[in-house]
Amino acid sequence: MRTVVAASRAEFTKLRSMRSTLVALSLFFPISIGIGALEGWSVRGAIASHSPMLRSDFSAAQAGFDGVLYGQLALIVFSVLLVTSEYGSRMIGLSLLAIPGRGHFYAAKMIVVGLTAAVVSIPAIVLAYTATEFALGPYGSSPFASGVPHAMLGAVGYMTLMSVFAAGIAVMARNPIVPLATLLPLVLAGSQILSVIGATAAIARFLPDQAGMRMLAVSVGSSDQLSSVAGFAVMLAWAAAALIAGHVLLRRRDA
Amino acid sequence: MIEVQDLTRQFGRTVAVDKLTFAIRPGQVTAFLGPNGAGKSTTMRILLGLARADNGFARIDGLAYSQLRQPLTHVGAMLEGFGPNRGLKAFNHLLWVAQTNRIERHRVMEVLELVGLAGVGHRRVGEFSLGMGQRLGLAVALLGDPAVLVLDEPSNGLDPEGIRWLRQFLRRLAADGRTVFVSSHLVAEMAVTADHLIVINQGRLLADTSTAEFIKRNARTFVRVRTQEPERFRRQLSAAGIVAVLAQDGSIEVSGASAAEVNRLAAANHILLDELSTESASLEEAFLRLTNPTNESAP
Repeated sequence: MRTVVAASRAEFTKLRSMRSTLVALSLFFPISIGIGALEGWSVRGAIASHSPMLRSDFSAAQAGFDGVLYGQLALIVFSVLLVTSEYGSRMIGLSLLAIPGRGHFYAAKMIVVGLTAAVVSIPAIVLAYTATEFALGPYGSSPFASGVPHAMLGAVGYMTLMSVFAAGIAVMARNPIVPLATLLPLVLAGSQILSVIGATAAIARFLPDQAGMRMLAVSVGSSDQLSSVAGFAVMLAWAAAALIAGHVLLRRRDA
Repeated sequence: MIEVQDLTRQFGRTVAVDKLTFAIRPGQVTAFLGPNGAGKSTTMRILLGLARADNGFARIDGLAYSQLRQPLTHVGAMLEGFGPNRGLKAFNHLLWVAQTNRIERHRVMEVLELVGLAGVGHRRVGEFSLGMGQRLGLAVALLGDPAVLVLDEPSNGLDPEGIRWLRQFLRRLAADGRTVFVSSHLVAEMAVTADHLIVINQGRLLADTSTAEFIKRNARTFVRVRTQEPERFRRQLSAAGIVAVLAQDGSIEVSGASAAEVNRLAAANHILLDELSTESASLEEAFLRLTNPTNESAP
């Protein structure tokens, strides 16, 4: 336990001293808040002008979470970089010399990824929500509206699990290209497209981002959607699977 | 004290380390010699728990590396290619390493000073020269003030002055009573740095001997003779039972006889000598003969 605490401190030092991880992490805020505000502002115009472009199921409260859904890209990049910075320079050798227990090293890495994601998510989610609702002006919703605090809690959980999931994949891949090339398009568009196609929709809802996004739902979804609890369970399973697979590979490989 | 016993590791069909057995004592610098690909790095990695052994073991003070608590306070290591991330500042790099083993923060400044990098601690490692990178690697190894040091090719990338500095540095560490285990492919350099040599090739032990003994055994001395009549004198030397070989430059290389004996024989035969000198074949040649017996006449 003391080993993991010491190793986590060291991981945090790496995080705050590397430009790549710091930049990725700091982008989480402007992206989340900026896109949230932009969406609120444009929807406000659409509502005011009775634009037919506005989707019929638009929910002001739910829209408050769209910003962080884009912001999560920065969080994924951060998680992947914190892991793969070990491999590019083969600093991993040194890390394992200092912490020969690979489980200890791995635990510390994942704790720092998860904890950092959780801690930065809380203000980012609240700020992005507030910015969106503020930009919506008279059509905006309150952070205390029914279902919103619950969804905020879910959002923090989702961001944390998604970051850990990405970090686990990065340990498996040992380079940033594969996890980023898979995760970013998946989160951005891939599974959305799959969920629109009827044949793949049934499967797509179990993909990490689709299932995980149910954790951010303000209201109970339609019957073909997972409940927020089921979404959380599926997301948890994805993160756990990535964690276990990463751990197994890390233990087995030579450094 | 480092013990390696029957250590074996295969990569596919290649046997990288083959039943290697040796022990390394404290208070001396022990060089680990062998050509590139001899298995030095693999042996060191197994010793440090970074790679697994198929068979046998490597122990430090009786324990496997993974059994050491706060390992950096027992063993300091520097491995080729295991650099810090280029984006880290030197100070922060040492700081995270220190934190993993609960080594106090002030020790970071100490080791930076020890290796002569105190002025550049705030710079990113990516801006460092090869030599500075090596010094930083040494600083990492020294962080925990360990009794055992395992250094893989520490002289790589150092300029002549840096190499001299390193030599004195390693000698001082050994004089403190530490176990200093240094791999190198530079035999001549290790001959002046190390007290003991372990030579391997193709994963097998070729020599485990003190440096003095190795030099005595392998650095053959011979007498070089120049004369206007080399062929005649060579025959006379041979007739006297002395091994003499004509070298390519027209001189004669005589082994098994002293310069005085050669001189007396020349005088007795009324041969005028232009040059008479005692030379020793380099340790480099001895090393090449040892690691590559088929290549006797290697340059």
